[in-house]
Parts: sequence; structure tokens; C-alpha cells
Amino acid sequence: MRVEYINPFVEAAYNVLTEVLATEVKRGNLFLKSATKPVMGVAAIVGLAGEVEGRVLFDMSKATAMKIASVMNSEELTEIDDLVKATISELANMITAQAVTKLHELGFKFDLTPPALITGENMEISDQEVEALIVPMESPHGNIEINVAVRERS
Amino acid sequence: MKTKVDFPSINQKEPDGRKPDGTPVRVLVVDDSMFVTKQIGQILTSEGFEVVATAGDGEQGVEKYKELFPNVDLVTMDITMPKMDGVTALEKIMEFDKNAKVVMISALGKQDLVKQSLLLGAKNYIVKPLDRTKVLERVVSSLE
Repeated sequence: MRVEYINPFVEAAYNVLTEVLATEVKRGNLFLKSATKPVMGVAAIVGLAGEVEGRVLFDMSKATAMKIASVMNSEELTEIDDLVKATISELANMITAQAVTKLHELGFKFDLTPPALITGENMEISDQEVEALIVPMESPHGNIEINVAVRERS
Repeated sequence: MKTKVDFPSINQKEPDGRKPDGTPVRVLVVDDSMFVTKQIGQILTSEGFEVVATAGDGEQGVEKYKELFPNVDLVTMDITMPKMDGVTALEKIMEFDKNAKVVMISALGKQDLVKQSLLLGAKNYIVKPLDRTKVLERVVSSLE
């Protein structure tokens, strides 16, 4: 996978997280993951289809999801309820929209699916056809992994 | 303690969400995200606006507008929604009431749809992520 696909997502995640959390966010080291990888507990997934195809996953623990949603809603949220889910979906939406704007400017044409939110224990994600690049973003509320698996349509 | 006497109010500004007669500006919030609906509601009510109804998709938004009319002063309209998108819903509301005041709520990267909305009669637009200053500034300017 070409690294130029992941950079817009990392930049967008940095911009949006810094703004909505009003805090310092650090970018961790990029790593490559082969076929199967565990998912932390709350994952928002957005599909891409067009000249570029694949998916982007925003993966975090339940505790992190609740903390982030609490900050974004200015109230203490203590369970993964509909509001937390809507908030994390919206976060994924905002990051993806910003990244995609950048990719469109670079000349890549594709559409997005609405984010789907997956929650649970002991989950794994498998990408048999496309390798995934992962960039962890570190915030005082916990880490979010931006997991991007996209390729050019052959 | 007579606080009003002891502590004169230093904030003389009238809340943005009140009409000249002191009654609240009545808002219909159309958005499929519970989070965004809540966020807009909090920002607007803190300035004296009244959220009279919310709708989760464009179709419901148009229905609610017709139901409420003329007791609604402003609509905030998300662009990407299931069933009927915000641009179509805006068009239908403008057909029904050419003086409707609609503010579009957009994700980044939807410039074409925002332009189209402004041509169709939307008064203004706000790009997410939303913040208090941005929302109030755009909403107030659309009421002028």
C-alpha cells in the first residue's frame, strides 16, 4: 500500500482530535500489519469505493471511546450507549471527510460509506487482499489507532 | 442578599436567541446524528434559542417544518442523511415557504453541495466540527 494514502488520514485525525478534544495529540510510529489484527473494543469503519478502494478503521478501547465521547459532549458518559456511539461515528465522519477532501485534491476519485460502529470483546479484523497500515494517535484520553487498508482499483 | 444590587451585571448583552419582543427564536434541527443534534441544541439553548423539534432525516425534516409552520423561525439542516438528503429537503422547504431561513450543516469536502444549497436559498452554512462561536455567528447572520 502506498503511504500517500495514509498521510491524509493521519493529518486529518490530528487536526480533528486536537480541535474537538482541545488537547495535545501525538502521532505514534506507523506500522504495517499483515492479515489479521485484534480490534480493541470500539471500532468505527468507513468504506471507500472508486479509483481507490478499501476501508479505514478507527479503533480504540471502550474506556477511550467513553472518555472521548464525554469530552465531546461536555458530560460524563460511563457506558457505551447510543450517544457514545453517535459521537464516535461523528468523529470518524469528520476525520474521514477531511482526509477525503485532501485525497480528492490529490486527484483520487472515490465515494465513502457512512461509518459503521462495531463494539465487542475479542474481535479481529482480517484483510486478505490488502495490507493495512496503522498509525496510533496518543491523547491524554487514550490511544486511537488509525488503520487504513486501501489500494488502487486494478 | 440582593445580588442584583450588590453585583451589577457586567454582561449587558442580550442573548442572541431572543427576538426583539423577548420571545425565543424557534429552531428545527434536522440531523441524523444524535451527537450533532445534541451539540447544536446545547449551543443554541444556551443563547436563549428554543429547539422546538428535531428530525432524523430529510423527509421527516420537511414534514416537521410543514407541521410547525408558521411557528418556526430557523432550520439547521445536515447535508448527508438517509432517506432524503439535506439539499433535497431544503428545496422542498423553500418550495413550501420561500421565506424559510435554513442553515446548512456540512462535513468538509462538500463544497459543491453547499454552493448548490446557497443557490437554492439556504441562508448560510457551517462546516463541522462545530463550535459555539462558529454556530452562533452563522445562525445569527442568517436571521438578519
